[in-house]
Amino acid sequence: MEILQYTVRKLISGIPLVLGVTLISFLLMVYFGPDKTYELLGKNPTAQEIAEVRTQLGYDQPFLVRYVDYLRELVTLEFGNSDSTGEDVASLLARTIPISLALTGPGFVLGNLLGVLLALFAAFYRSTWVDKAIMASAVVGMSISFLIVIIAFQIIFASSYGLGWFPVRGWSVHSFGDYLSYVAVPTMAMVFVALGYNTRFYRSVLVEEMTRDHVRTARAFGVPPAKLFYKNILKNSMIPIITRVVFSIPLVIISGSLLIESYFGIPGVGKITYDAIISGDQPVLKAVVGLTAILFVLAQLLTDILYRAVDPRISLK
Amino acid sequence: MSAVAIPAVRRESLWSKAAWKLARDRTGMIALAFVLLYMLVAVGVTAGWWAADWSEVRGGKWEAMSAAHWFGTNLIGQDIFARAVYSTKTAFEVGLVVAVLATVIGAALGAVAGFFNGSWIDEVLLWLMGVLDSIPFYLFVAAIVFAMQDNPYAMHIAMISTFWTSVGRLIRGEVIKLRGLEYVEAAHAISVPEFVIIIRHILPNTTHILLVQATIMFVSAIKSEVILSFLGLGVKDGMSWGLMIAESSQEVMAGFFNNFLAASVLMFGLVMAFNMFSDALQDALDPRKVG
Repeated sequence: MEILQYTVRKLISGIPLVLGVTLISFLLMVYFGPDKTYELLGKNPTAQEIAEVRTQLGYDQPFLVRYVDYLRELVTLEFGNSDSTGEDVASLLARTIPISLALTGPGFVLGNLLGVLLALFAAFYRSTWVDKAIMASAVVGMSISFLIVIIAFQIIFASSYGLGWFPVRGWSVHSFGDYLSYVAVPTMAMVFVALGYNTRFYRSVLVEEMTRDHVRTARAFGVPPAKLFYKNILKNSMIPIITRVVFSIPLVIISGSLLIESYFGIPGVGKITYDAIISGDQPVLKAVVGLTAILFVLAQLLTDILYRAVDPRISLK
Repeated sequence: MSAVAIPAVRRESLWSKAAWKLARDRTGMIALAFVLLYMLVAVGVTAGWWAADWSEVRGGKWEAMSAAHWFGTNLIGQDIFARAVYSTKTAFEVGLVVAVLATVIGAALGAVAGFFNGSWIDEVLLWLMGVLDSIPFYLFVAAIVFAMQDNPYAMHIAMISTFWTSVGRLIRGEVIKLRGLEYVEAAHAISVPEFVIIIRHILPNTTHILLVQATIMFVSAIKSEVILSFLGLGVKDGMSWGLMIAESSQEVMAGFFNNFLAASVLMFGLVMAFNMFSDALQDALDPRKVG
């Protein structure tokens, strides 16, 4: 009951944020976005024709009415049809989002798990050569651009100049085996890029927890290392770890898939976003920008609620 | 003005200590030397000492490495080395503009938010930071490019308007901490104007944070620039490593790697050196770390 109240209160506190992000995407995509009047008109339109098209597009409405219209579109998911393909934007998203999730999911999970594992190693062997080697590799990993990793991995693992184990590009998935072969190179690239940042972050979190006084006291009292580690260190490190994981979900799915999908030609939400950016397809862009921003706010609220589940010190008030 | 004899005692400040620590950090100094070397290259390009002929066609298609063309030539016969060197300037330009402006804006707004902590000004600024952080970066850039229709600075504006929030949050927290200290209370007591307190007495005490944040943002800006230019959202006129990589993405499938390697290696060197310098700077400026 208490947690329900807390959740409702958190949801209400998210409203200004949702209004803010939708306002910005509205301003950029719709209000100051390109004027589509003349794309819909023939040559030498009359003043009346221009006025008709502008009414049809809603350009003659006041600012607030158009903003509320945009909000209504976001709630009902009725964004109209894509300018370039004519497909309904909602069904376009329904078709592409699962592909992106299937594509980025394994890399995201592996990148975080391996990051925590490496960070544990580094923190456990703190200040020894193991730690130094892991942290030096992390800096090297952080310094290589995602773009370079994608291209290099494609050459190494998928092209005829390298090992040629996996398909070079595309996404024709009919069985689980197909899925594995198409997802392999993107996953490796994502893990490689995420690993440096994740390891560094998780190590600093773990080291901070390990050097706390209560850990030293517990150790002095003879708490077995495994229990000490699980109960006193890992559990307390969960808050920053959860924050990082949840916050990066929308970013990884959109920003990560944008580059991977446009490079590998995979028909996910990143690819349609990229195509929409290049061709100026407003209905698709306003849907993607608005929805991801809302998703991000929801992710933030989710972390706040998860904190409560993990950390009893955070009060519900 | 009477000349006051400065006592010969070495005063130890955060800065002198940090400088001493940094100078003893061998990796940090090597990294700094590399960064300075890149900077010299960038200055040289701006001054026209070298790589001025980056756009001229001076050879055949996909020539191999030779004395005339150190990294060979690209599809239409332009010298890849000259293009890669010229791109250093682009990278520095984007990195500097974004890092400096985002730091200044972040410091100013963060300080205001922290100083007026608890009032509506703080609330509004926190809301603004929350809103800007909630829009995925590449989409935000795309949205700005979309709205600004081919403005060459759309990319810079997008980066600055998203990067400043992290500085803003840090400075806000630091200012809230500093505001409670006695010396600020004392300034209040002798009725120093609030604006002067922020500028003269609080902000200078956050310089170490700003310096580290600026180096971090410099690196992020360079990395983002490359990806954005590759996607066609970044540098429009001129040359950049991202554009070279975009060019090379067709070439690598045909087995010509020079363009890709030249851009990648040069970019990796700069980002790596800057990352290591940034780490060294952080270690040197962190008062909690001893020795």
